[in-house]
Amino acid sequence: MMLKKLLVSAVLAAAALSALAEDRPPPLPVEPTGIIETLPERYPPDWFLVHDVAFFHMSDGKIYVIDSSEETLGDQVKGLFNNSLMGAILQVPSRGEIMSVETFHTRGTRGDRIDVLTIWDTVTLSPVGEVMLPSGKRFMGMPERVVLQTLNEDKWLAIFNLSPSTSVSLVDLEKRELMGEIPTPGCSFIYPNGGMAFSSICADGRMLTVTLNDDGSERGRSFSDVFFDSDDSPVFERPALSGGIAYFPAFDATVHPVAMTGSAATPMAPWSLVGPDEATWAPAGIEIDGEDDLGRIYFLMNPEANGVDGMHNSGGAEIWVFDPDSRRRVLRIPLQEWGLSFAVGRGEEPKVLVTNPVDMSVELYDGLSGEFIRKITGFGQETPLFLWGAK
Amino acid sequence: MMSLIDKLLERRARAAAQTASRRGMLKTLGGVLVGASTVPLLPVARAEGGAARPVEEGSDTDCDYWRYCAIDGFLCSCCGGSANTCPPGTEMSPVTWIGTCHNPADGRNYVISYNDCCGKSTCGACLCQRDEGDRPPYRPDKTNDINWCLGTASAAYHCSTAVVVGVAFEE
Repeated sequence: MMLKKLLVSAVLAAAALSALAEDRPPPLPVEPTGIIETLPERYPPDWFLVHDVAFFHMSDGKIYVIDSSEETLGDQVKGLFNNSLMGAILQVPSRGEIMSVETFHTRGTRGDRIDVLTIWDTVTLSPVGEVMLPSGKRFMGMPERVVLQTLNEDKWLAIFNLSPSTSVSLVDLEKRELMGEIPTPGCSFIYPNGGMAFSSICADGRMLTVTLNDDGSERGRSFSDVFFDSDDSPVFERPALSGGIAYFPAFDATVHPVAMTGSAATPMAPWSLVGPDEATWAPAGIEIDGEDDLGRIYFLMNPEANGVDGMHNSGGAEIWVFDPDSRRRVLRIPLQEWGLSFAVGRGEEPKVLVTNPVDMSVELYDGLSGEFIRKITGFGQETPLFLWGAK
Repeated sequence: MMSLIDKLLERRARAAAQTASRRGMLKTLGGVLVGASTVPLLPVARAEGGAARPVEEGSDTDCDYWRYCAIDGFLCSCCGGSANTCPPGTEMSPVTWIGTCHNPADGRNYVISYNDCCGKSTCGACLCQRDEGDRPPYRPDKTNDINWCLGTASAAYHCSTAVVVGVAFEE
């Protein structure tokens, strides 16, 4: 009797399972393992590089590749690469590479110091080369756009050194080897000035321009006239760049255009970013300016910083957009909360990505209308202090 | 040390947005009020009558402490060191930048050397950014935007001190 009951139960169970199986979709195919994603050779206009400097653990800096046009996190995050100890990066689309200057110690925070240029492939986000740099020289500080610069049709990379003596190291990117070092005493950073020259900004209020020979040695150097006072009317070292002119904003909201045409840098007549009823406004923040493919220049503006000592790094409430030729403001972008850094994307409809220091998110704005588009956060960022429009 | 800090935090960002006018007023008063808040007095702050002794007021773990007028970094006083000493096992940078701060307790201006302590990862406590008199890195003598762990065995930044190195010249 017991056996009969068991047999009946088994038959019924098998029938039920069979019926259930017929109602389900076919099973998933077996998937291969080991597949690694890649990225396009040229990043789309709305992609950005978000440099998280990891301010609370600086040897773990990261640069996230973010597609700002997407709405969900899974579609926004395209990948990342590392950058150790407050380094500097520069994407060079003609080479399909991203230059990354960084520093390591052989025992983490101790041991032998290694300063190195790491070359990342933009498609695979993998390191494809490196060049050892002179130890203890490379600029180490808050990220800047003017620490790395390519020269000679992207065949050379210029690297700014501050130890605190100042100089520029040249790297041959074809051979991936160090070429030499050009001293720039009293002058700092690297501003593009034609393919075979670079300019630097000097503590005495002048611009230095160094021209180069075909082998990278110095051909000559010249200084501009004094155009600012680094004690009483300092300019930020971070200009907006448009049409061969570097627009250096000053602490007092004056803009000093400097022509960079391949010869000596030439300061031009300054003009003001603020109107008569805006005297308290001034640029402030970390990454305080930018430019777009339409020829417009952007500045991060603080409503209370003008004339207030110590406010120049504190960020701003709006981004102001100017036509540099007419010197007219063409757009005000009121930020949702506050901005500390920003970058402008490419194309005819540029987007603006802003670091919001209140919650350490990044926020996207329309560069034509000024409208807020979306907040991008939760992608692992901690201190995303510097942004780049991807190329 | 590096530029950024406080305003990276919500407290600072909101303060910058909402209390800038108050900061401006303090500056207008020449910094006289800086550091004269409710913080307790240091042991050296009140001389015992009689022979005059140097005085300073405030807590060296407070960002408003008078010496920190131009600082940007983690306060070594919160990391096992003090306003003028590094925490154990770190190395003080031999080169650095200077600021000038007003000591409200004696009415003098002092030259302050902001030597970084190096060789360990960031302390992480008492982040403080004041930036008064700070200039971009093309003025290395007056900038806090760079890592001043220069000339040290390790480039790892840990915290910042504020060492009195002299009385400033009267203007």
